[in-house]
Amino acid sequence: MKLSELKAGDRAEVTSVGSETAVRRRLMDMGLIRGTELEVLRFAPLGDPIEIGYKGLHLTMRLKEAEGITVVKLPEQKHPQETTGSSLPGKRFFRRG
Amino acid sequence: MATGKEIRVALAGNPNAGKSSLFNVLTGSHQRVGNFPGVTIEKHEGYIDYHGARITVVDLPGTYSLTPYSPEEIVTRRYIIDEKPDVVVNVVEGTNLERNLLLTSQLMEMEVELLVALNMFDEVEEKGISIDFNQLEKLLGCHIVPTSARKQQGIDALLDHIVSISDGSIEISKNKMTFSPVVESSVEKIAGLLRHERELDSSNHRWMAVKLLENDREVYSQVRQYPIWVKVELALQEAITECDRLHDTDPEALITEDRYAFVRGAMQECVRQPKASRATVSDYIDMVVLNRVLGLPVFFVVVWAIFQLTFTLGAPLMDGLDFVFSLISRSLRPVLPNAVLRSILVDGVIGGVGSVLVFLPNIVLLFIGLSFLEASGYMARAAFVIDKVMHRFGLHGKSFIPMVTGFGCSIPAMMATRTLKSRSDRLATLMTIPFMSCGAKLPVYVLLTGAFFPPAMAANVMFGIYFLGIAVGLWTAWMLKSTVLKSDSEPFVMELPPYRWPTLASVIFQARMKAVMYLKKAGTLILVAVIAIWAASNFPHSRELDAELASETARIENTVSNPDLKKGELEKLSSRVQAEQLEYSLTGRSGKLIEPLIRPLGFDWRIGISLVTGVVAKEVVVSTLGTIFSIGSTDQGSGGLSSILRNSPGFSRATALSLMVFVLLYIPCLASLGVMKKEVGSWRPVLIYTGYVLAIAWIASFITYRIALLTL
Repeated sequence: MKLSELKAGDRAEVTSVGSETAVRRRLMDMGLIRGTELEVLRFAPLGDPIEIGYKGLHLTMRLKEAEGITVVKLPEQKHPQETTGSSLPGKRFFRRG
Repeated sequence: MATGKEIRVALAGNPNAGKSSLFNVLTGSHQRVGNFPGVTIEKHEGYIDYHGARITVVDLPGTYSLTPYSPEEIVTRRYIIDEKPDVVVNVVEGTNLERNLLLTSQLMEMEVELLVALNMFDEVEEKGISIDFNQLEKLLGCHIVPTSARKQQGIDALLDHIVSISDGSIEISKNKMTFSPVVESSVEKIAGLLRHERELDSSNHRWMAVKLLENDREVYSQVRQYPIWVKVELALQEAITECDRLHDTDPEALITEDRYAFVRGAMQECVRQPKASRATVSDYIDMVVLNRVLGLPVFFVVVWAIFQLTFTLGAPLMDGLDFVFSLISRSLRPVLPNAVLRSILVDGVIGGVGSVLVFLPNIVLLFIGLSFLEASGYMARAAFVIDKVMHRFGLHGKSFIPMVTGFGCSIPAMMATRTLKSRSDRLATLMTIPFMSCGAKLPVYVLLTGAFFPPAMAANVMFGIYFLGIAVGLWTAWMLKSTVLKSDSEPFVMELPPYRWPTLASVIFQARMKAVMYLKKAGTLILVAVIAIWAASNFPHSRELDAELASETARIENTVSNPDLKKGELEKLSSRVQAEQLEYSLTGRSGKLIEPLIRPLGFDWRIGISLVTGVVAKEVVVSTLGTIFSIGSTDQGSGGLSSILRNSPGFSRATALSLMVFVLLYIPCLASLGVMKKEVGSWRPVLIYTGYVLAIAWIASFITYRIALLTL
């Protein structure tokens, strides 16, 4: 599925970054490569852009950019040591509208 | 150590790695700001004298990588390749090593003397992260010095290393990053091919080969000119096929993955960090600041606070400056005997300097606020919160703050567009700002609404004017972004850095830099323009009017005995002669010249003159109207101008509305055109823009005037 289709609080693993050339390169340079485990932290108050967390980094992008990223949704988390933000209290309150 | 030795150092690193703070600590007050050749990216250069060596430091723009996709990265790359600094100091954020080392891995390929400054080391220690420096140095093939720019620690050690590396007294065996076998064999092959091309102006064939595999358009166009290209292209094709077959991806992605694998390997070997799954302070702040419900209100409060800081706090300072200048003028006037000299010095030069300096408090205050927002980390969040709205008009989330600032004054607002990284976003925002009705236009609206509308209606008219400005501004942005600025729009991929307290020194530094830049670059231009307009309003000078003034003055002196009456008569005379002199001058003639053009908008030549002088600054429209319409008028006392205008034949409500619309939309003041030229880099777009605003203003005023004539 696409990164843009996830909900706040979802965790997923990147399977491919297929956006347009410059965007794709930028995303990869920011560490978003195949195999990266990320968590959707929130959407902006108006529903776009999206904020994700991985490897101690908080990255935001427009949904249009997030559409180019294919992910596999991970089951509810079992290993609390992975990724930042994964144990953010109250994160379930941030839901996409 | 030999004295007079020069060492050239470049600082490279990720945004938010503390590069600028380190630069400030290193160079102190010995700095200057310029631009990198051909682009409007600021180049900060400074020096420090250390143990007899002069170390010049260039602060390269913050980058995550060295691709050819962003001007910052191109500038960084070209500087390192072309200028060949003696030492490249790679500033890395110690608390975020994994991503920061990606750039390090790219710098390793560039055959430079690399030195890593592991910055924010105080935070690293606080977080209980331990680093095996020896092993990491071995893996990266360069020395690493822990530093903390904030606490000014490790600076001497860094300087010692810079000196020792440049004179070769310490050495370290370089390490080479090895890619996956399939990439590595292609790199070897292509580098071998390039080595045979004797004409090729580069010694770093391995770097070029890697870049070619990464689809780098700059290196592509460089190599394509040579006959060897035919063979290189074949090798590239082969690499693409092989990568797809073995790794199910393309060389570019595979190289990045290899780099991360290298970095991760180094991290696992050398860095121990406690399992940090606790939410940080930043996370808690974001839960409020980026909250679905609270996010927008917080954003608007911050914007409001910045606006208040700049303009409410700035107003008394502005008035103070104004007072000082009028004091100087008043004390100079009686000292200077020659009327022409007096006018040149007092009205021209001092008036001109005053009109430049008067913006300074606003600029300094705004940039104290903005650099606080930027350094604290909120600026990125503000962009995140409002981006959806701005994007609808083709703008970026970061465009919002400069636009709002435009309601106060266009000058600092235009300078604030520097926070936008992409040129096309910046240009679009820049061209939107003059439509945000600035503080100087307010007196015009107050005068005209007060004169022609009952108080209950005045507020609505005013609101309508502001709204029209916003609408035209956003429309302009949208139109620009969907036509001429369509290309190279910056993708919105932005990091939200952890919140940090900005250091006072860096905030003050930023504000000082902006002030100096404004005074030096825009200030001189504004000064020249203001003096030119002054000259046009004073020359040619009618001697007949001078003679008439003299004879009439003598007549009044002799015939009127009552001192109050005499004073009144003399004042009326001098204002009438002043108005007639203005009419006689170049400015006055141009007012008459353009009358046929502005006739359809309901304006006569008198309004034309006000519009011409109003180019200097919009509030001048009011004072010129005052001068010209007072001719032959008997109205006296406060509120005089309102009633004069109201009773002028040909000045109707429709004229007032049309004039307000025109003042809102037509040429932004000279000062802002000067700043715009500075930000855009050349006159051509500024002139085209001026033509555009004139056309828009004419059309909008025409429509307003015709509708008003029919309905009012």
